[in-house]
Order: sequence, then C-alpha cells, then structure tokens
Amino acid sequence: MSATFRPSDAVDFVVVGAGAAGGVMAKELSSAGFQVVVLEQGPWRREKDFAHDEIGVSLRGALINDPKKQPNTFRKTPGEKAKLQPAVGYCRTVGGGSVHFTANYWRFHPEDFHERSLWGSVPGADLRDWPITYDDLEPYYTKAEWDLGISGLGGSNPFDGPRSKPYPLPPMPVKSSGVLFERAAKKLGWHPFPAPMAVLSQPYRGRAACIHCGFCEAFGCEVGAKSSSLAALIPVAVKTGRCEIRPDSYVRKIETGKDGRVSGVIYFDAGKREIFQRAKAVVVCANGAETPRLLLMSKSNAFPHGLANSHGNVGKYLMFDNGGYATGVFDHPLNEYKSIVVTRVLHDFYRADPKRGFYGGGGMDARYDYLPAAFALNGLPTDIPQWGSEWKRTVGQYYTHMMGTLAHTSCLAVEQNSISLDDTVKDAWGMPAMRVTFKNHPDDIKTMHFIAERQKEILSAAGARKIWFAPESLEEVTYSVHLMGSCRMGDDPATSVVNRWNRAHDVPNLFLVDGSSLVTAGRQQPTATIQALAYRAAYHIQQSARRGEI
Amino acid sequence: MEITRREWMLAAACWAEVLRAQDQQFAWFDRTSAAEVNAIAGRIIPDDETPGADRAGVIWFIDRALAGYDEDKRELYRRGLSQMQSKRVEIFPHSSSFAGLSKDQQIQLLHAVEHTEFFQLVRYHTILGFFGHPMYGGNRDQVGWKLLGVEYSMHYEPPFGYYDAAAAEAGSK
Repeated sequence: MSATFRPSDAVDFVVVGAGAAGGVMAKELSSAGFQVVVLEQGPWRREKDFAHDEIGVSLRGALINDPKKQPNTFRKTPGEKAKLQPAVGYCRTVGGGSVHFTANYWRFHPEDFHERSLWGSVPGADLRDWPITYDDLEPYYTKAEWDLGISGLGGSNPFDGPRSKPYPLPPMPVKSSGVLFERAAKKLGWHPFPAPMAVLSQPYRGRAACIHCGFCEAFGCEVGAKSSSLAALIPVAVKTGRCEIRPDSYVRKIETGKDGRVSGVIYFDAGKREIFQRAKAVVVCANGAETPRLLLMSKSNAFPHGLANSHGNVGKYLMFDNGGYATGVFDHPLNEYKSIVVTRVLHDFYRADPKRGFYGGGGMDARYDYLPAAFALNGLPTDIPQWGSEWKRTVGQYYTHMMGTLAHTSCLAVEQNSISLDDTVKDAWGMPAMRVTFKNHPDDIKTMHFIAERQKEILSAAGARKIWFAPESLEEVTYSVHLMGSCRMGDDPATSVVNRWNRAHDVPNLFLVDGSSLVTAGRQQPTATIQALAYRAAYHIQQSARRGEI
Repeated sequence: MEITRREWMLAAACWAEVLRAQDQQFAWFDRTSAAEVNAIAGRIIPDDETPGADRAGVIWFIDRALAGYDEDKRELYRRGLSQMQSKRVEIFPHSSSFAGLSKDQQIQLLHAVEHTEFFQLVRYHTILGFFGHPMYGGNRDQVGWKLLGVEYSMHYEPPFGYYDAAAAEAGSK
C-alpha cells in the first residue's frame, strides 16, 4: 500500500520531517490526491519498539537527537565564543516530538495573536502581532483535535477562546495531583480545568484507549493511545497509496534552480549515501531549530545567505521553553507514577497584566514527571543529604507522596536569540553544527518568578507539608524542547520569513510549517498550535496547487 | 494480548539476569576495584532496614555500563579510585582499603570527596543501578522500586492514589 517513488520522480511534495506538523502535511496532502515523500532523519519505530526503560529512553535519550553525532554550540550573546553544549532537544523518530511529548494540548488564547496591539512594544524585545487571528485558526484547532483524538472538556477553561466543537473524547480520569490542584485552586478563587490531552480516554478510530502505564513523557506509547502523528496520522497517509515515508533520511540541502524555485532536496540515507529527491514543492517541518539550520545550509546563487533569507531573518527571534518546577510532599500517597502526566491545568495568570510591571504570563499544571532514578538523582530538595541512610529513607517516603506543578511561561522574541551555523564544529555527516544563541529577556525571568509565587500558593493551599523548586528551573534557560519563532510568520517580508499561509516570502514553492513560524510563544505547549497551523497551511497548499499557483 | 506477551518477555529477561548473576564474571572491573566500588555504592545506598546497593546488584550494573555504553567513563573510575585511595591513606594512615574501613570511617572519607567528579559519577551510576530497569543488571528483585512503594505493572486502573480515591468515593455518595 505504501507508495514508493524514485528519486528522479518529481513528486508533488517532499516533506522534510515526520513530526507533529510533518504528519499533518503527509496525511492532508496525500489524502487530497498529491504524491508525497516524507523524509525523516530518525528511524521508523513502531509501538513494539517502545519500552518502559527509564535509563535508555529518558536518561540516555534513545529517542532524541544525540549530541555526539549532532553536536550544537551554545552562547548567551553574540559577543561570546560559542561552546559545545546541548541546547536543543527534539525527538528523532517518525512522529517526531508528538511521539514523546507530555501531550498537553491546549489552544493558544485569542489575545495571543495580537499581544503587541494589546500591550505595546517591550524594550529589548520584538513583540509582534500575528498576521492571523484566533478565529482564522479555530477551525483548524478543531480539525486537529478530531483527527488526532484529544481528550478534554470544552468550555471548562473560562479563559479559552470560543470553540466550534467539543473535544471528541471526555477528559482522562483525574489523578490525585489533579484533585489536590483543583481543590486548592478553587480555594484561592482560581479556575482549574481538566487538561486537554493528546491521549485517548476511550478507544477512537480503531486505536486503543490509554492503559495508564505511566511511561508517557519522554516515551513512545506502547499501545498507540498517545495521539501522535505516528499513531494517528502517518498510517492514514500511508494508506492513501500516495505517501512514502522514508526514515533514516537526513536532509542536508534544499536545491534551488536558476528560476529561484526549489527543485528538490539532497539527503543522506542510512548508509550516508547522498540522494537527490526531485519535487515540485518542498514543505519543511524539521522543527524550530533544524528548519532554519537547513535553510542556512541551502545556499545557492539565488540565495547566497541561505534559502528564503533575503532579509536575514532566518534563524532569528528563537523562543524557548520557560517555567519553574515546584514540588510538594503530602500526607497520603498520590502514586503519580501511574497514568498520564497532567490531569488539571489553570490559566488564571496566562494573560499579561500591566499591573505586574512587566510583560508576560503563564499557565500552570499539576503533575509529577520524575521517574524513579531521576527523582533519586535530583528530585529532592537540596537541604537534605544527597546520599546515605537518611537520604534513602526520604527517597522511600517521598516518592509516592509528591506532586509538582510546572509553569508554562511566556518567552519574548529577541532578535539576537537565534539559530545559526557554527564556524568550526561539524556533525557526524560533516555538515556545519547548529550554533544556538539564547538569553532570556528580563521579563521572561520576572514572569517565571511571578508564577513561581502562585505555584507555591497552590501547593500550600493543597496542604503540602514541604515545598521546593528545582533551582535551575527558575534561572535563565539554556536548553529547550520547545523550539519556536526562528522563521516567523508575517505580512512584511522585511521582518518575517513566511507569509500568513506558511509560504516562504522569497520562494513560491517552499513552505515552512512547524514551531519556527510562531510569532509569539503563547504560554508554551505549542503542539496544538503547530498542528492547527499545519492543517491551515495544508488546506491553502491544496487550494493553491489545484489553481496552479505553486 | 500484546501486553501479556511483553510482560512475559520482560520477566524472562529479568530471570535470565538472575541466572547469569549466579556465575558472575566482571566484564570490566578487576575483583579489587569492584569490591571498593561496591563498598562506596553501599554507603550511597546502604543495606539497612531495607535492601541497598549491594543487594540490588548495583556493582553488576556499573560493570556492565563501563564495559559498554559508558566506556568513556573508565578513566574517571581509575583516576577517581586512585585519588580516593590517596585521601584514605591521608585520613586513615593504617588502613588498606575502602572496603576495610569501618562504616563511620567510610562515611567520613566519602564526605571528604563528595564534591569530586568521581564521587558524583559513582552516585549517578549507583542510583541508575538501583532504580533503573532490572534488565541492566541492577535493581534485583526490584528492590529499588519496592523502596519507593512503586507497584510495577504494565497497566493501572483508577483510582491511582489516596486523594482521587477519596474524591471518587465522596462523589459517588
């Protein structure tokens, strides 16, 4: 059933990256009748290839980019010499980040799309309105929720925008952390709601419901209940007979012809052989770090500074994942190691409020996501011994009695925060390593600390007898798995890379569809928005292709 | 059905490990170094009212890691052990090995080196060997998970904990 194309076939579309957005493009474009080749740098793991193995998957990163083979350099500011230091993490497998993510699946709020108009400018940052509104995206959020299978309770978050349909599935069973969080939030006058999760609470479209095994964040789902591209979208794409998924295919260059249009991509196959796949159009869904890197590596006569980079915006305005992590200990067992990570969320402090004196806001969820070894390694407060009998007793007493709250806070777009190519370091394929430049805007840090106070309040109101923060979670961020903003969307080619339909301003048959097009970071948890944008872009691409406008 | 088969396979893998452990040969350690590292791990996670690193077989986990994926850490083990022995002789001039020190002496010595890269690495390996999956050679009889109160299963049903059970109970009344 799976299609196979020859590299010399000029297929309708090559999609680079089979992740959250790439899965959407694969399914939508092939279902609409187009030929699609999807190139994924990671392998094609199936449910049977996933395991309950904290050491291999979570601590040794079996599913993610390997810093030894794919090193990146890092610096906080352009004046510094960048040094080897892992700064970006992404899932390197068919299905991408949607395979191993926590599965929080909330929508951005209507005001996220025009915060510049609401707030004004922020010195030291480049806060902008999106070229689209929540209403433009709403039908595609709904499409994503129904295609993938999202469990949640529509209307339960009073701060959400209007929705045209409820969630397809009821919320997941509440955990003890959710019960404590909800009770405490209500006591404080806040508005907790059941977490919208990309996990099936009931069987859906031939897929099995969640069995609450507890190996969710950082892991691939062994029963296909996590609503990843792998479980929900790729199989549909393959079944069309018009989509070929090529795993272990690492794209190093998008070729540009004399006419300024892209003509295909060069990739390394599993044996490091270079193959040129011809295509009529290219859709890059390689994530907010690899997409700009690939464009910068795709220099040509038409684009000497990198593809689609005529105004020098590719790679700039990178936004990271911010938010503190607080833990509380309770009198009775919560057994948070069971089931999914998050069952309750609140958005009371999501909206930026001028009274705070700085820009920013955040969501907050109830969770505990340390597995046993990670907890024992660094989950305890630093004021108790870190080894020996007393430590061991505390480890034994605390593990089942804890919950945490993780904040998901704003990250301002700052021009110098960027993805660029390192001058000297190469990856295992001889390609220039990614150089990451990132330093939080001071308002990001103020927001993290503001929300941290709310995290303490809620854990305290929930009855925690001891509360502490993971200390590094309140410092400047130097590593992120949310990779946003590096090829942002806008109407003005001078200040953005793609237009409101995710088409590159510079190249009519090139589309960039992933976290890189986000104009603002919302309050993190960008997967729903990335996938909604992908559905919207896919619709536009089909229409344009049919009209001969690509 | 898939789950049952997987459980069986995991159980088989664990049992194979236990059988192998009865006729053990270190893949990388020499016996003396293994005894020393085993004693250090035993102070990090002591055998006290519940099993510790020794009974969890942590040393076999570490040996296998150093023979395999963590082979680039061997030099740190060699150097770290030798530096720790120098420190031992400095503090306890008449001693002959870490394993031969009294419990209090061992603790005193480890406090003197606890900020070194070597100690932090042994702590890291000890914790992985104690709390990681038994298929890596440690966490025998799941003693690590038992310490935490984790009931290891491939699937669970609600209620999961005290508070959601209580809420469900209150809600159903």
